[in-house]
Amino acid sequence: MTPAGQMLLPVLVLLPLLWLLPQSIHSGGLDLLLQFWLAALQPSLDPQVLLSALRGLGITLAIALWSWLLSLLLGCAGGLLSSGLVSQLLWGCQWPAAVIKRLLALPRSLHELLWGLILLQLLGLQSSVAVLAIALPYGALVARVTADQLDALPVRPLEALSSAGAPAWSALFTALLPPLWPQLLSYGGYRLECALRSATLLGIFGLGGIGADLRLSLQSLQFHQVWTSLWCLALVMLLLERVVRWLQQRWQHPLASVGQRGRELVALLLCLGVLLIPSAQLLELSWQQIGTRWQWPQALPLWDIAGWNQPWLPLISTTLLLTLLSALLALAITPWLLVLLCPWKGCRPLLQSLGLLARLLPPPLTALLMLFVLKPGLLPAVLALGLHNAGILGRLLLESLDARDCRASQALQLAGAGPRRSLLVAGFNAVARGYLSFGAYRADVILRESVVVGLVGAGGLGVLLLESLSSFAWIDVVPVLVVYAVLTLMGEAAADAYRRRLLQGHLPLEGFKPAIGP
Amino acid sequence: MRSLLFGLAVLLAPVAPVLASEVLRISAIPDQNPERLNRLYGLVASELSDQLGVKVRYMPVIDYTAAVTGFRRGDLDLVWFGGLTGVQARLQTPGALVLAQRDVDARFRSVFIANRPALQGLTPFSSIDELSKLKGKRFSFGSESSTSGRLMPQFFLAKAGVQPKDFSGGQPGFSGSHDATIALVQSGAYEAGALNEQVWESRLKEGKVDTSKVLVLWRTPTYPDYHWVAQGNLNKRFGAGFTSKLQQALLNLSPDQPRQAQVLELFGAKRFIKAPVEQYASIESVGRQLGKIR
Amino acid sequence: MLDLRGVTVPGRQRPRLHALSLQLKPGERVALLGPSGSGKSTLLAVANGLITPPQGRVLWFGEPASRRPQLRRRQQARIGTLWQDLRLVDELSVQQNLNAGCLARWSWGQVLLNLFSAQDSQACRLALARVELDHGLLMQPLDRLSGGQRQRVAIARLLRQDAQLLLADEPLAQLDPPLARRLLQLLLELGQAPRALLLSLHRPDLLEGFDRVIGLRCGELLFDQAPASLTSADLQQLYSTQGQP
Repeated sequence: MTPAGQMLLPVLVLLPLLWLLPQSIHSGGLDLLLQFWLAALQPSLDPQVLLSALRGLGITLAIALWSWLLSLLLGCAGGLLSSGLVSQLLWGCQWPAAVIKRLLALPRSLHELLWGLILLQLLGLQSSVAVLAIALPYGALVARVTADQLDALPVRPLEALSSAGAPAWSALFTALLPPLWPQLLSYGGYRLECALRSATLLGIFGLGGIGADLRLSLQSLQFHQVWTSLWCLALVMLLLERVVRWLQQRWQHPLASVGQRGRELVALLLCLGVLLIPSAQLLELSWQQIGTRWQWPQALPLWDIAGWNQPWLPLISTTLLLTLLSALLALAITPWLLVLLCPWKGCRPLLQSLGLLARLLPPPLTALLMLFVLKPGLLPAVLALGLHNAGILGRLLLESLDARDCRASQALQLAGAGPRRSLLVAGFNAVARGYLSFGAYRADVILRESVVVGLVGAGGLGVLLLESLSSFAWIDVVPVLVVYAVLTLMGEAAADAYRRRLLQGHLPLEGFKPAIGP
Repeated sequence: MRSLLFGLAVLLAPVAPVLASEVLRISAIPDQNPERLNRLYGLVASELSDQLGVKVRYMPVIDYTAAVTGFRRGDLDLVWFGGLTGVQARLQTPGALVLAQRDVDARFRSVFIANRPALQGLTPFSSIDELSKLKGKRFSFGSESSTSGRLMPQFFLAKAGVQPKDFSGGQPGFSGSHDATIALVQSGAYEAGALNEQVWESRLKEGKVDTSKVLVLWRTPTYPDYHWVAQGNLNKRFGAGFTSKLQQALLNLSPDQPRQAQVLELFGAKRFIKAPVEQYASIESVGRQLGKIR
Repeated sequence: MLDLRGVTVPGRQRPRLHALSLQLKPGERVALLGPSGSGKSTLLAVANGLITPPQGRVLWFGEPASRRPQLRRRQQARIGTLWQDLRLVDELSVQQNLNAGCLARWSWGQVLLNLFSAQDSQACRLALARVELDHGLLMQPLDRLSGGQRQRVAIARLLRQDAQLLLADEPLAQLDPPLARRLLQLLLELGQAPRALLLSLHRPDLLEGFDRVIGLRCGELLFDQAPASLTSADLQQLYSTQGQP
């Protein structure tokens, strides 16, 4: 099958979803849903609401900024230590890197929300919980990406410098940092966007920030207030995405020309540095607290055998089904909308704003909205996760379509093919491998994320976990965490294997400048 | 290099010092609209601060579990807990004390409400057995750890032979708060729900309920619910006799003084009374029965 | 300068180099001829230390090649290689690439500083001038340069490295005839005493100016003589397919 065909095929997921629809739809809350969307036009401008939203947004941004920074520091260090190349240089053998790489898989295997809930138990009520909750899994992820990138770089310039007598570290920095740098910058910017989304999500579960405003005002059906927060968040998110994209394009090779770009980089670093101080104060971050306040729940029955007695099969299969359906839905939406709408002029702006909206609404909120018209169960959860991730994947698709070499589709259009056909034949085939590989990576993320929609009764491991945490049933928590971690690690391995096959060894990652096929 | 610079920035960033002087940190489970909670506990904080001569700070928490955890960890000194969360908190925190409850709390009830247009023909009933009529309906509890919005309703449902999986969709919803339950049932998003009787009555009085759309099906028997729980170490931190002063301050709130009257009104109480610890044994056993206390 | 004695490098089917001995004195410019796969690149890799031969001895500047990393690096710093694929860092500017030649003698601070700002422009200008490139190119990113320009940058990096023994692996492969001549001229000039040059190439017509020509076949030395005395029979034997695997 052509790559474009593989891109369109996931639409088959609509069949089971449509089959589920009649048994779960109800019209009870149609009114409410309508009110919700109408409220978008008139967000509450009450100064108190506005102030609360801005304060929440400030906290969310501060959490995002600090956790992002921390994750980059952790990630760069971890990346260097888990790179085979560096290990070879440092110790003359590769196994330490392999060991560290395996160890780093552990923090990665749990969703930041779970880290947040666990750290809340260990560290108590303080905003550093949210910062650490994001920084730990993100750091491990950045480390993995850095190590992969480092080991995939061409080593010949490094060889040339070493054989001219350069010391190992000097050669490493001069030969490998420059090609690694633009990728790290690009990836780093993407991580900041992710950190903002995660910080919002953590707020929904009570770990501080605008997420709390969103959830509470939605739950009390104050839609005008919901939209005050949503518009503020949308503005910041859009701004951040644009700035990051602009900087990524501007600094493709930031080291190449000394001078202006270097100065810009330093200026940006200074700006960030200046921002860090007030955000630390806003969060009341203090290292003494993080250092000294660790405390385990009393009598933690970590290894009690009784907790392992769970109906694993249905739990795991529900989680996997939820992941699979959501991932396919996320993959299918944008390409199909593009194909259907592309002859129309307003198609791009429409898709872009829909995508922004989808990224903006955290999945648990979307799920709560879905409950207005759907019964609790698998379907609202699938839709919530699928739509959110479709927003993320869709943006990547549009960007890689823009970045692609358009001569082929030009040739087709000059030969009389319509926009739809040229998009299908030239456009999609050019970007399909990249898109599908991002999709595989996203599926892996969705597996972790499935825990956040436990709220709407989707079932699976996530629900059990949230329920055990709220009952302080540590005896159940640990086994579920372990099973969850094993499951996500297996998912990661499967997604990697698929991507490797798809791209024949070359593994571009989400967030890098749109890569197009091998 | 960037990480290097950032590292420097981290080291140089002047971080806020740990709270220097002792502050009494009060909080409450988030069972109502956050604006209302902010208003109420802002008032409580300034009232207690004036009476006791210490700094009092309201720490909003948006999650029941987080409130219990915060109390266990010692991040919160005095918390307005529900029946279940109070028991959970005291079981996890050695030395914690029950200071007071409202006059209404000893004999608390939940109400089961239903959407009138959606459930035509369903009329109020007085026998618990008739709860089985809710099988197959779209049903919402309040918060997962709420006593009056989840624990006791689920307990009485179980008595009538209704399990959570009997509801439409195979499980109940969790609206998150009592107000949300009213709104969701009134709108028809859920056909029925259960909530705190006191919140129901006060919304009814405020005219915020459209009685042409919602009706009360059944009121539960009474059970003890909300209470103030304090850390056991307050005397050590704030001086001898502080705990009893704090308890007196709560018990002495009277409708004659304007600010205190406002507090009492927002609490929906005439006054606060002493709460005997023994009365929560029943809540504990129900909690254990339903797996919310292990 | 370079002294190889009985060097053997095993290969998959037959040795890539077999009991090869070769001496190079200061000021000597030696051309290395041989069909593809005859071991020219391997010989150069042994000469610059990329490969440590399991048998035989390598002497650099009269001393045996050291096994201690620090000492070995000091020896290698005096050997410059013009790689067939250049091995420049595409993401850096011309000047930064030139400075990459100095890594062996630079301190850590200078290494890091080179990644961010210009270092010692004067020396870079001189190096560029020596390879007949305009100093205006110094700040250009490397990926904007043409193939010929990049090759000259790579040579200038050798100058910046201040290498004594110059090794070049088929530097003329993809150049048009006039350009190839000019570049060869440049390398021959650079290879004068006190330096020495060992250059592999495929063009028996361009041997003018070399002091010696070495013929390599199946990893073994076929001839080692002055270019003037090279006969067409020698060349025929060198490139004949007979006896080739």
